[in-house]
Amino acid sequence: MTGEPILRAEELVFSYPDGTRALNGISLSVPRGKKTAFLGPNGAGKTTLFLHFNGLLRPQSGCVYWSGRRVRYDRSSLMTLRQNVGVVFQDPDTQLFSANVRQEISFGPCNLGWPAAKVQEQVDRAMAAVDILHLQDKPTHFLSLGQKKRVAIAAVLAMQPRVLVCDEPTAWLDAAHAAAMMDLLDRQTRDGVTVIFSTHDVDLAYSRADYVFVMKDGKLAGEGHPADIFLNDGLLARADLAQPQLVEIYRDLVEKGWLPPGRPPRTKQELLERIPPRGGRRCSK
Amino acid sequence: MLLIDHYAYVNRLSRVHPAEKIILALATLLQCLLSSSPVTPLLAALLMAGLVIAPAKIPPAYYARLMLVPAAFLLPGALAVAVCTVEDIQSLLWGVQLGGRAAGVTAGSLAAAAAVLLKSLGAVSCLYFLVLTTPVADVCAVLGRLGLPALLLEIMTMMYRFIFVLLATARRIYTAQASRLGYSRVKSSFYSLGRLATGLFTKSLYHSEMLYLSLSARCYAGKIAAPPVSRPLSARNMALIAAVQLALLAAALWPGGAGR
Repeated sequence: MTGEPILRAEELVFSYPDGTRALNGISLSVPRGKKTAFLGPNGAGKTTLFLHFNGLLRPQSGCVYWSGRRVRYDRSSLMTLRQNVGVVFQDPDTQLFSANVRQEISFGPCNLGWPAAKVQEQVDRAMAAVDILHLQDKPTHFLSLGQKKRVAIAAVLAMQPRVLVCDEPTAWLDAAHAAAMMDLLDRQTRDGVTVIFSTHDVDLAYSRADYVFVMKDGKLAGEGHPADIFLNDGLLARADLAQPQLVEIYRDLVEKGWLPPGRPPRTKQELLERIPPRGGRRCSK
Repeated sequence: MLLIDHYAYVNRLSRVHPAEKIILALATLLQCLLSSSPVTPLLAALLMAGLVIAPAKIPPAYYARLMLVPAAFLLPGALAVAVCTVEDIQSLLWGVQLGGRAAGVTAGSLAAAAAVLLKSLGAVSCLYFLVLTTPVADVCAVLGRLGLPALLLEIMTMMYRFIFVLLATARRIYTAQASRLGYSRVKSSFYSLGRLATGLFTKSLYHSEMLYLSLSARCYAGKIAAPPVSRPLSARNMALIAAVQLALLAAALWPGGAGR
């Protein structure tokens, strides 16, 4: 982790009115400029934490730091925070309210009070970034779920956030659309946006995230580089997480002497390249 | 209703400037309502049917079905106008004696009924033309330009959007209930329908809360600004609209000045 963390939570506690304690004194630092995954069972507090990141929820105790500064909850501070930290909700239908796609995406930039030309420019840029320019005049109820998710992301990207927080961006998407969604998030990271996302897909988090946080019962159960997290059997068991298939297969191959011990491969391609041909040199344990 | 909305986006006239379509529809509507000649609404209905079917390419069968909807209340309405009561059965074209009075139709009442029927048909055609060719977002943009208060426009846009969310939610609940035999018997149907209504209500509340959160996440400050429409009006279309309106006016005045 280099430089100052872009977002930091310190001893956050939050309970919902029905008494559910969603965050239970969680502290963590999100690295700047990376793609960070949050894993954990349902009800671990991932969404609640995300809603704290841009001040939609206010912690009952503890505080949030944005770029080293403590988050304040007055109107103008919240405006600045919400422009910089964009949250994309899991169900796009709760987020999309406009009659057509272009209007939907213009909503955020218009709220920032930008001049019309800048609004149009940013809306076009955001639509191009998620590849939905051809949908701009469509009403949102015409779109497929994958398209709606893209519109929801563009609606946040158009505000030029420095952090993009996505709650389960691949939920309900098929494998191909999920991969395309992760490519889209990769492009954002390359453009200098810090990306934070939650997922239940350990394989996805393992091969696509730069850094991983594991949550359980409103607390942090572990954090680190994906390779370290997913080799930590104790942590995985505590958080009810499965081991990524790649790691499981790799470890089995090492154990049976087909591969030398080392860092597990991050992608399927990498694993296949490491497996030697039959009759070739076999590694001794 | 949903199909109307679908056609509003996919018809061949959807890319025409919305103000042009609104001007055409409203000007023709006005002529229908003001003209006392039966020719105007008849021509208006034919004109709109022609526009909807030929350039906009809406399937004629669908348009005919749509016209049946207002017919369901126009025909009884016209019937009520056509039937009148008089003292003397001799003055009726057709009628029955009811005690001291007679009920039936006269030449005058028939003409009045026909006028009402035609007028309504013409007016409905104008509105159908507008809703079948113009997406709601475009209509709202033009209304905004005309100075309709932003609050009203926001409410319109949101209602429009959430009609679809509400319908989709209702459909999902209905499917979930039907797949567990919720509508297999009359008694269970009533029960399921009640649960559907309460379910819709609570889901709507939840939806509105989530929407407020997601709007706040994008710096919502109580105002939804709509981006302006930047397309220019087409001089050719405006000239055509003016010509059509003049022709309608001329047709209404032609047979010896039926008057307006």
